[in-house]
Amino acid sequence: MRELNQRQKARLLFSFAVLFLAGIAVAGRLCSEASLVTDFSRKNLAPCLAYPFGTDWLGRDMFLRTLTGLSTSILIGVCAAGVSAVTALVLGLAAATLGKKTDSVISFVIDMVMGIPHILLVLLISYACGKGMKGVIAGVALSHWCSLARLIRSEVLQLKQSEYILIAGKLGHSKFEIAKKHMLPHLLPQFVVGLVLLFPHAILHESSVTFLGFGLSSEQPAIGIILSESMKYLITGKWWLALFPGIMLVLTVVLFDLGGTALRKILDPNSVHK
Amino acid sequence: MRNMKKLISVLGAFVMTMTLLTVPAVSASAGAEDASVVVTMPTTSEPASGFDPAFGWGAGEHVHEPLIQSTLVRTNKELEIENDLATEYSCSEDGLTWTVKIRDDVKFTDGEALTAADVAFTYNNCRELSTVNDFTMLKEAVAVDDTTVEFHMNEPYSIWPYTMAIVGIVPEHAYSESYGQNPIGSGRYIMKQWDKGQQVIFEANPDYYGEAPKIKKLTILFMEEDAALAAAMAGQADVAHTAASYSDQEIDGYSLFRVETVDNRGFNLPASMPEEKDGITYGNALTADVNVRRAINFAIDRDEMIQNVLNGYGTKAYSVCDKMPWYNEEAVTEYDLDAAKALMDEAGWKEGEDGIREKDGVKAEMTLMFSNGDSVRQALAEDTANQLKELGISVKTEGVGWDTAYDRAQGEPLIWGWGAHTPMELYNIYHTIKDSGSAEYSPYANETVDKYMDEALKSSSLEESYELWKKAQWDGTTGITQEGDIPWIWLCNVDHLYFVRDGLKIADQKLHPHGHGWSIVNNIDEWEWE
Repeated sequence: MRELNQRQKARLLFSFAVLFLAGIAVAGRLCSEASLVTDFSRKNLAPCLAYPFGTDWLGRDMFLRTLTGLSTSILIGVCAAGVSAVTALVLGLAAATLGKKTDSVISFVIDMVMGIPHILLVLLISYACGKGMKGVIAGVALSHWCSLARLIRSEVLQLKQSEYILIAGKLGHSKFEIAKKHMLPHLLPQFVVGLVLLFPHAILHESSVTFLGFGLSSEQPAIGIILSESMKYLITGKWWLALFPGIMLVLTVVLFDLGGTALRKILDPNSVHK
Repeated sequence: MRNMKKLISVLGAFVMTMTLLTVPAVSASAGAEDASVVVTMPTTSEPASGFDPAFGWGAGEHVHEPLIQSTLVRTNKELEIENDLATEYSCSEDGLTWTVKIRDDVKFTDGEALTAADVAFTYNNCRELSTVNDFTMLKEAVAVDDTTVEFHMNEPYSIWPYTMAIVGIVPEHAYSESYGQNPIGSGRYIMKQWDKGQQVIFEANPDYYGEAPKIKKLTILFMEEDAALAAAMAGQADVAHTAASYSDQEIDGYSLFRVETVDNRGFNLPASMPEEKDGITYGNALTADVNVRRAINFAIDRDEMIQNVLNGYGTKAYSVCDKMPWYNEEAVTEYDLDAAKALMDEAGWKEGEDGIREKDGVKAEMTLMFSNGDSVRQALAEDTANQLKELGISVKTEGVGWDTAYDRAQGEPLIWGWGAHTPMELYNIYHTIKDSGSAEYSPYANETVDKYMDEALKSSSLEESYELWKKAQWDGTTGITQEGDIPWIWLCNVDHLYFVRDGLKIADQKLHPHGHGWSIVNNIDEWEWE
């Protein structure tokens, strides 16, 4: 069999990641009802064929719970990363194009938000928004845009000085046309890759906030809740409550990261040589 | 690869947080030779404002004997009143003056004598400062002479002796704002050392006026249940508090010790139609129907619930005060699903296609709330939901924080934990409050019930009042039991469980009240190593 080249490998990896994550997201939504079912006749079962991830002290099926939890995490992650990315794009563009004053204001805001420890900021915002799903999304969305915004700003500043842009200006193109025709195609790969690479952060922060008890309430299936509940039962030897959901979380995050890196190879072949 | 590194560091931080939250940092040694005992307690049992009765030590949300201080009277194993500091006490005909004579041979541990002035000072101080216990019925405490104190009341309060059993007497001459940190008392033990967030060490009071304590040194470690289990496994504690979910663990050299309680769990059913006031919904369209409430009480299979949730370590509860001297046994309601269904049918709640009943367009649905993170209450809520499904009522469960729970409970059922050594509990739950004309925690009002409780408080003897408290629950025609208005459903009393080191003999316990903390050491002075 012929060896695949880098690009083909990247394509394959990316489609696998996307399929897998979309699969989890959809499957989790479909079994969200079933994951809430409690049945005391099957409590504390170790992993078996019927319950591959075992059951907890309320007799809930941990496999379904993990799936639903992950899918919630992915949806929150996508939602939060989307909001973050759009904020970053708008602010990054504004900083680079609207003159010195705007630039210094926006740069100051970016520095300030980045100066606060991430998890603390997420906790604060989530708590202020009344916790729950809304709080978590707001917390994660409002704290993850800074580095991407900074990246876009510097990219645009650099583009503005590049020769072909200057020439286009001299030739009489309007600013808007330049932005659309010359800048956007250049920025898009950066932006998409930045967006995808935000997911894993958003997901990890969502689970840590929930783990610490500032997120979703405790009957809902979410990875953070599952993990924090499992802590209480680890000492009695119920390892499956933490192990499988933990592995699934790590797997999801790693897949997002690999998928994002693969996407960069596809969209921005130059980066491979760096 | 930069992103990968970042990821790893985030993951690492996550793991570190998890580890930090679990590792107990304690060391203590067991000692049968020097008559010392190490006991673990939940972290919430550590008195935040110190060992001062005015800030809830002993006389707080969870009642227990104050150990460091002595009380005027104490409750015995049948929860009847016995003298401690008091030699006799009596109440005037109108119920407005209590006269208590006290012993004249009692000294505080700093050598000063305990006089009636100290008693009066303690009570007046509590009346002014206490926010966690109710002292509003007390007008003033007056020391008549060195050994006589008089309590002048605002209103008759026949169960005053139960208050006298939990308020520790503090020395007037050594009382300041920091008293809670360095308490001086005349009780069985002296507080020697307090490492906040970690442990408290008590030593026996050598000059105690009663029988000398057999246990000379008591160390309390504050930790969560999983850490307590680890401490027992490592042999670091002689008595480790634990929960039903850990009860099947076997630890070498330890056995499980079970204490029956009135530490009950139940839920409220708002007994009025929904109505909004100041953004809070009072009442619930489903549970406003008394037949629905009765049907729910019939449909709860308490035996099954105790097996499912508590591994059998609990007793069925039918009231907030099971087995107390003021408990009315009419409250007992056996599980009867058919009767429950018949009640629902009769009341017009007909089963729909999806198995959920409805009446006049109102679906038989409710949300049952529980406090976030309390696994027992969560399990009780889930089991209740499963059982009520059989009846055709759809119950959703939701974890809530206490910041919003009180308000929301006015319109939706919430799982509560109650249980105290005083009939005031009945009053707090079922008696209307003046401002709203409805009970405090869940909408409910019944004039007859109110009247019995008011009379009970006015009666001149405790025994007489017990009868009235019973009548308030059920007098043959009305009340708060199954045949009556049943505005609260009681599920079970949760046994308090401990892993106890072999060879340690824990003295007989009275029924523990709500709170899995200090009650176990109420009679620590009578424990023994064999």
